[in-house]
Amino acid sequence: MKFIALILFSMISQISWSQTKISGVVRDVKGEPIPGANIMIKDSYDGTSSGVDGTFSFITEESGTQVLNITFVGYKFFAQEVELTGKPIIIEVLLKEEINQLDGVVISAGSFTAGEEKRRTILKAVDIATTAGATADIAGALNTLPGTQKVGETGRLFVRGGDDSETRTFIDGMVVLDAYGPAAPNTPSRGRFLPFMFKGTSFSTGGYSAEYGQALSSALVLNSKDIAEMNQTDIGILSVGADVAHTQVWDRASVSGKIQYTNIRPYFGLINQEVDWRIPPASGEGSFAYRQKSGKDGLFKFFGNVNHSSFSLYNHNILDPSIRQQVDLTNNYGYGNGSYQQSLNANWSLRTGIAYSFNQNKTKVDGLPLNETEEGIHAKVVFEHSAHDQLELRMGGEIINRFYEATRYNIVSDATESLSLSEPLSSAFAEAEYYVSNHFVAKAGGRFEYNGLNNEANVDPRLSLAYKPGKQGQFSFAYGTFRQSPLNQYLRTHNQLDAQRAEHFILNYQILTDRKTFRIETYYKKYSDLIKFNGAPTMLTNSGTGYAKGIELFWRDNETIKNVDYWISYSFLDTKRDYLNFPASAVPSFASAHNFSFVYKHFVTAIKSQLGFTYSYSSGRTYFNPNKPADQFNSDKTPSYQDMSANIAYLPKNNLIIYLSCTNLLGRDNIFGYEYSVLPNTAGVYESRPIRQPAPRFLFIGVFITISKNKSINQLPNL
Amino acid sequence: MKTINLIFLMIIAVTSWANDDKYYEQIGKQIQAVYTAKTTDEYQVAINALDRIASAEKTRWEPYYYSAFGNIMIATREKESSKKDSYLDLALTAIEKGKSLAPGESELIALEGFVHMIRVTVDPASRGQQYSGLAMQTFGKALGMNPTNPRALALMAQMQYGTAQFFGASTAEACSMARKAQDQFGISKSQNPIAPAWGKEMNVELLKTCN
Repeated sequence: MKFIALILFSMISQISWSQTKISGVVRDVKGEPIPGANIMIKDSYDGTSSGVDGTFSFITEESGTQVLNITFVGYKFFAQEVELTGKPIIIEVLLKEEINQLDGVVISAGSFTAGEEKRRTILKAVDIATTAGATADIAGALNTLPGTQKVGETGRLFVRGGDDSETRTFIDGMVVLDAYGPAAPNTPSRGRFLPFMFKGTSFSTGGYSAEYGQALSSALVLNSKDIAEMNQTDIGILSVGADVAHTQVWDRASVSGKIQYTNIRPYFGLINQEVDWRIPPASGEGSFAYRQKSGKDGLFKFFGNVNHSSFSLYNHNILDPSIRQQVDLTNNYGYGNGSYQQSLNANWSLRTGIAYSFNQNKTKVDGLPLNETEEGIHAKVVFEHSAHDQLELRMGGEIINRFYEATRYNIVSDATESLSLSEPLSSAFAEAEYYVSNHFVAKAGGRFEYNGLNNEANVDPRLSLAYKPGKQGQFSFAYGTFRQSPLNQYLRTHNQLDAQRAEHFILNYQILTDRKTFRIETYYKKYSDLIKFNGAPTMLTNSGTGYAKGIELFWRDNETIKNVDYWISYSFLDTKRDYLNFPASAVPSFASAHNFSFVYKHFVTAIKSQLGFTYSYSSGRTYFNPNKPADQFNSDKTPSYQDMSANIAYLPKNNLIIYLSCTNLLGRDNIFGYEYSVLPNTAGVYESRPIRQPAPRFLFIGVFITISKNKSINQLPNL
Repeated sequence: MKTINLIFLMIIAVTSWANDDKYYEQIGKQIQAVYTAKTTDEYQVAINALDRIASAEKTRWEPYYYSAFGNIMIATREKESSKKDSYLDLALTAIEKGKSLAPGESELIALEGFVHMIRVTVDPASRGQQYSGLAMQTFGKALGMNPTNPRALALMAQMQYGTAQFFGASTAEACSMARKAQDQFGISKSQNPIAPAWGKEMNVELLKTCN
């Protein structure tokens, strides 16, 4: 027995007697040594780290056929079989760079992404919420970025010579048909969705992905938050209303709900308004979000929102202000969006969703009803495939069915008239993104669309490239053609109108470091098939054309001054169109040649407050003066627009915030344009009335309380 | 036959003791290396060695723990945010592997909270809300598994102190937490010879500002 044991012991020891020396050098593809790489015999203790010159050497007691592994962050894993016999092994290894999502090249032409996560982004999600003058409105904050033209009386996004309808909003990939709340004529509307709902925002001012269609100028892609992390209750007491929200979290799911009531009546009672309100706006809103994890990495998201709002006002005749017309508006809105995403296997993943929008405006003009209803349903499936780490494929299909109806009472015929349209739109898209290296990436794709209303089928190509020669600066180029159905007000009488088209060319250079960004971008955009009145507004054709070109600069610095973050943006725009009632090519009234914004944020620890300040400038905009001959169409210009806004968020306790904001501190009387009388006066002159801000300033006070087990949480990121 | 079986069993036992000895010797050396490392290179060499031990020892959570700890230490020294994040990502990957081997280990959870805590420092303004909440929650979870884990207590005290300072609030709560941690640093004696033992100095420094 002892004998057997002895043999076994000696066999075990025998193994360790054979030693093999392994040495060599680890380099990258360019031949530069890689220090600190981990070299090891798989499943054993034996190995070492490479030195400063990339060399290594170690002795292993393993024997037979083994696997040599070499790993280093940012490089592909290396594995090779080695025969360990006692004979020294010398090996030279070239590690290939991994395609790096953090530092590598990214396509940046035309797009601003605001994410919270580790990827370097120009804006963080929280930046959108804390920009002074924006009053926590997504469009308000994005209006401080290059590529936008401020059109103060609407509060909406106007991108690169495009009007507000040319920007489309998507939530979790699904379309939103009416992203703005109702507003009285010439008063700014607010976005329906609050910035804190989203973990990431991608604002594209052109050249965007083939996944998105039906937008001539811009896609605003909002990604909602995932599962909430903790239970909390938020209460907001505002100068214009109140809200309460609660979030409940389980292991694999979370639910949050919010109810909000806004009534601006008491405020308007204190501060005189330009608008003659009979009943100022009031609204009630409820929203609900549900998140559920499924399986290993599946995530189901649901978001729903209902809103009811109303107001009533008097419109005064320009020639005789004592003649007034009463306008009552009631708006009902509902939006539901369910989406699901999951990996199918290591290389394939699936995203799918369904969204429903309902928007109804019930207007009464001097008691005569005029109702508009739009409904839309959107279903979408997207497959993503990583063929290998350099090639990503994305393909999918979607259906958007839209129904619109307008009804009005005709006093002459004593009957209710109705106009309606139903537009079924089916699309398919495919896109391939190929990373040649960490320095060069190309993305090409196309979008097919079939419109069941006019039976048109089309394909729109998209292409973008990015080249990063060094560590920081990079060039991007983007090209694409885009189409969008005409507005309902035209389509409802002319069902067979074609889609309007735009073609984008964008060139961009950007330097993005940890806390500083510099960006310059130039573009050319060509419009065709725009709606044009052929003689009379009832004769519509697709013969309108136009162009927009410009250059834009952006600088952000969050580093030089401690606790200070600021950005500056400037846009130059040259645009003309020949569309609608234009007698010839002219600058549209929503376009301004120069736009400038300065946004400053400062956290002052001593007073526990975050201070914010925004200055905006827009050069004068054209307006139509009917007293001028036709060859001087849109040749008059308003004075420039200027606004200086400030806000302060005071945090006396961890879970309490007192927020105060004021727009237009200097009280500048900004004039957005002029309205003219429909008929000339007795002297044969059309009389005008300036379109002004509803009030010189807008003052807002809010108290926000967060109740949670964890006292370090507050609502600051929500403001 | 019985005797042969017995011998085989003995051999296996002997060899596995030998393996245990080798494990404790090797990891002990690398733990010392991580505790005493002064440069990123020194950390990297120790982390590499720990990763090798982890790849050989398929059932031990400790190599992952110390590898993660080393990566966190590098992250605290790194200036560039994106690199800082990538070291923290490595730490988190190692912690996840450790957790799959020892799901109930409070020390791993406390270390996970430490990762979230360092994430905040990358960009407090935009990450404060998300990650400080997450860090506190994770320390709470670690203390749920072991209420006397001195590192979970000490890290929680650090977090509370930082938050209180940021808001200019009273640091009393943080300081009492740090004292509780200090008591536990004195008492806690793990059965495991290679159990985590760091954090006392950090806590002593915090207590100095408390007095």
